[in-house]
Amino acid sequence: MDDYLVGVLSNIGVISFIALSAYLLLLTGEISFGQQAFFAIGAYAAGIATAVWGWPLGAALGWGAAMAGTAAVLVGLPTLRLSGLYFSVATLAFAEMVRLIFEQVRYQVIMDGEPVGPNGADGFRSIRYIFENDVGPLQYLGLIYAFLAAALAAFMLLERSRLGVAFRMIGEDAELAGLHGVAVARLKVLAAGLAGALAGIGGGLYAHLTTYVEPRIFDVMLGVHSLAYGLIGGLGTALGPLLGVLIDIGVLESIRALSSYRMIIFSGLVAALLIVRPRGLLDERVVHYVRRVWRMRATT
Amino acid sequence: MIDFVQNTIDGVMTGSSYALLALGFTMILGVMRRLNLSYGPSIMIGAYLGTLVYLQLSASPIVVVAVTVAGAVLAGIYVERLCFAPMAAGAGIASMVSSFAIWMQLEQAAVLVLPRHTYPFPPLATGAPLTFGPFLLRTDHLIMLTCALAVSTGVQLLLYRSRFGLALRAIINNPVAAHLVGINVRTAIVWAFVLASVVGGIAGYLVLATDQQITPMFGMWATFKGLIAMMIGGLGSIPGAIVGGLVLGVVEAHSQWYFGPQVRDLVAYGLLFACLVLRPGGLLGGPPVREPFPWRRGT
Repeated sequence: MDDYLVGVLSNIGVISFIALSAYLLLLTGEISFGQQAFFAIGAYAAGIATAVWGWPLGAALGWGAAMAGTAAVLVGLPTLRLSGLYFSVATLAFAEMVRLIFEQVRYQVIMDGEPVGPNGADGFRSIRYIFENDVGPLQYLGLIYAFLAAALAAFMLLERSRLGVAFRMIGEDAELAGLHGVAVARLKVLAAGLAGALAGIGGGLYAHLTTYVEPRIFDVMLGVHSLAYGLIGGLGTALGPLLGVLIDIGVLESIRALSSYRMIIFSGLVAALLIVRPRGLLDERVVHYVRRVWRMRATT
Repeated sequence: MIDFVQNTIDGVMTGSSYALLALGFTMILGVMRRLNLSYGPSIMIGAYLGTLVYLQLSASPIVVVAVTVAGAVLAGIYVERLCFAPMAAGAGIASMVSSFAIWMQLEQAAVLVLPRHTYPFPPLATGAPLTFGPFLLRTDHLIMLTCALAVSTGVQLLLYRSRFGLALRAIINNPVAAHLVGINVRTAIVWAFVLASVVGGIAGYLVLATDQQITPMFGMWATFKGLIAMMIGGLGSIPGAIVGGLVLGVVEAHSQWYFGPQVRDLVAYGLLFACLVLRPGGLLGGPPVREPFPWRRGT
């Protein structure tokens, strides 16, 4: 594979994590404009762990996910009792606060004669773990997709478990779910924590892919995009958000020739698509249909 | 003390433009119960057209205002027709994401028309600021405050003294009941978008004429300032939108003075977050609107 393709595929891989993170919250009926905050926390935490503290990559990614998940639970506790728009705007406010705080954070140590670590608005340079340890771009691509496959497998298990059913029940009607004995508040916080950790892993992988992060990457545009991926691809299955990312990055990359008109065409298509399919391409109806056909084949 | 008063004065002046943005936002949100992320970008389309006639024809400020407002209204109707009108009752998220896509589209269209990052915008008034003892009042700020007061009074009168306003308030209160008593909800919604775009267009013009420049970031700026001010003041409340805008302006002016622009934004978002957690209904709102988006299917 040529370097360009590897680059695009790696990008699709890491962005998929934040799309899945927003999707997990959409399942429980919550719209978050703020998943980029947990992506950022994962990126900074994992980057500091390898570049400043010299941790191995696996431990750093776990640390990033743990930090992001903890932050998500802490934010989720006061905000998840808010409903609808109030929750969405609270997550937006939180994410912008995180971004602005990272613009102030300076934590640098001198290594080999040059400063390493986050330097406020100037960003966090030289997260060089994959170069120092001779991980090739193709190998790293494999690593990203291994993690992504694991996340997808976890989603598939979730969809078949009681927990997944409970999440969808809350998303459909939280009050009714509560009447059926679902611990709504606790499960919402759990979903927020899991979504935060998922975004955190993506952030850690992203930081080591680009070797450089700066606060303005994690602005609200990233958050709204990650929300849109699930809506474009479909809310019926975890493959939906991945399809959304693939369409956005893949199709946009392939029509670079039309670059100055691409947002006009692409955005118009998205708006038209949402009129016809308000819950995305792979919505619940399509997924149920495919499953039924699959089962009928299996039985005959 | 002098600094404190001066900052408060400046804050009220800027806050009056936030109040107008919040006013437009709250009207759309009230009648639609859906978030229109394209609100700021559609104002920006108007402002870009205004800049275009200013640059090409060196048009007078009156013409620039008229073009800005007309452009904002056209873009607002476009957004309503594409992102809100065709969506089913339960598809609130789809509307929101669709309005986000159209935001990207409008931003790209603006950049295509005027590709440079920054363009000059005709100033409202030049000349030395007025002095009152130790305090300075910028002339353009005074015009901004006056216009904001006039527009919000006009909106208040329209909403509380006309049949159209009564219809809109009925829809805000309960769209189904409004429909049942014979109000044409779909038409009224289009008019609410027009009204919000007029208010937003005036607000956008005032802000840009004070800044004397326009960039493609303006759309995002207007959406978020309007959103923050609306949420601080209380969703769906007109006095709330005004108070929210003024509070946001004053808090920003003080934190800018004491801590600089980055901390100013941090304080603004911190205030929003605290308001949402502690008083979700906003400073003036009552208890929070329980389900601002009936976006779940079947509801």
